[in-house]
Amino acid sequence: MIIAKTEFLVRSKLDPQTLEIWVSEQWLIPQEDAFTEADLARAQLIQDLKHQMGVNDEGVGVVLHLVDQLHGVRHAMAALLESARNKNNN
Amino acid sequence: MKSPYEILGVAKTASADDIRKAYRALAKKLHPDLNPGDKKAEERFKEIAGANDFLSDNTKRAKFDAGEIDAAGTETQASRERQYYRDHAQTQQQPRGNPYANQSAYEDFASEDDLFAQIFRRQAEQTRNAKGADVQYRMTVEFLEAVAGASKRITMPSGATLNVNIPAGIQEGQTLRLKGKGQPSTGSGGAGDALVTISVSPHKFFTRVGDDIFLELPVTIKEAIMGGAVKVPTASGSVMLNIPKNSNAGSTLRLKGKGVAGKGDQFIKLKIILPTKPDPALDEFLSKWNPDPSYDPRKEMQP
Repeated sequence: MIIAKTEFLVRSKLDPQTLEIWVSEQWLIPQEDAFTEADLARAQLIQDLKHQMGVNDEGVGVVLHLVDQLHGVRHAMAALLESARNKNNN
Repeated sequence: MKSPYEILGVAKTASADDIRKAYRALAKKLHPDLNPGDKKAEERFKEIAGANDFLSDNTKRAKFDAGEIDAAGTETQASRERQYYRDHAQTQQQPRGNPYANQSAYEDFASEDDLFAQIFRRQAEQTRNAKGADVQYRMTVEFLEAVAGASKRITMPSGATLNVNIPAGIQEGQTLRLKGKGQPSTGSGGAGDALVTISVSPHKFFTRVGDDIFLELPVTIKEAIMGGAVKVPTASGSVMLNIPKNSNAGSTLRLKGKGVAGKGDQFIKLKIILPTKPDPALDEFLSKWNPDPSYDPRKEMQP
């Protein structure tokens, strides 16, 4: 489901300036002002990092980079296991 | 049940600052997005978030310490509805691929020419070739547009417009699929589809069941008794309808083929309406009128 920018601001409780900074930092990557549920969940993660865990702005970028890599590895791992399972079944 | 102090592992005498520190330390360990493979992390994280909210509220904390309330239901509405980024990152089917996907952590393995490299390459190719995501829209059309069909437009969040051809006879809740009007593929897979769910707004005097259209038609006493031709609206313009002599209130007439898209019929139920102002001539006539004793509309209703 696509979320328009105005709705995204309401649901993420972000102000437009902050959102602009997060997008320019590429913490969020919307497509022509159209956001997704994944972007919304990611914005909540960033808010948790900043407000609940005391991660500063420099740290947020580092954490997101590692989280993205972790998901990349998890996908690769899932693909490997899937392929190994298929081999076993054949 | 564990008390919020036990959940956060702090003493009952802990200061607000101690509680915040304990919560932060646990949150860093247990945040579901920092533990994408740990299904239990979400439950535990909700538990500590609830305990933290509870103890950060001085009124609630004081009441709990005094034994006036228990800590049940500390989970807040927001934390119940909360979705985590990991649930989105885990599925490949995001509306436009995953712009955050990052393969750098295993790229070195994939450069080798072996089985694993093949699998990684195939995976990357599948991602590139995946079709774009479907996009959902909702659209309301007027009653008569649903009956006769119409051409409508949707403005998408990107600002572009989408032409939607509403076929004649569309029903409430029906979904139209517009091939290739969804999100573009990140690679060569072609765009997804736009799925438009239709709702039909009610009409002032027509209602519809399947392909039949129903109308309650107000008539005068004279028209009901003497009969005659009256003008009746249909979905495709007005027609003249002949009301038979002595048509009772509630009797139903049928206009064949005047239903939805030429398939159904239109049914007309008569409703007798008295003059809005008293009519002296009618009063005079009725005061002199002695109906036949068999005219007793309540004869079935005698106790």
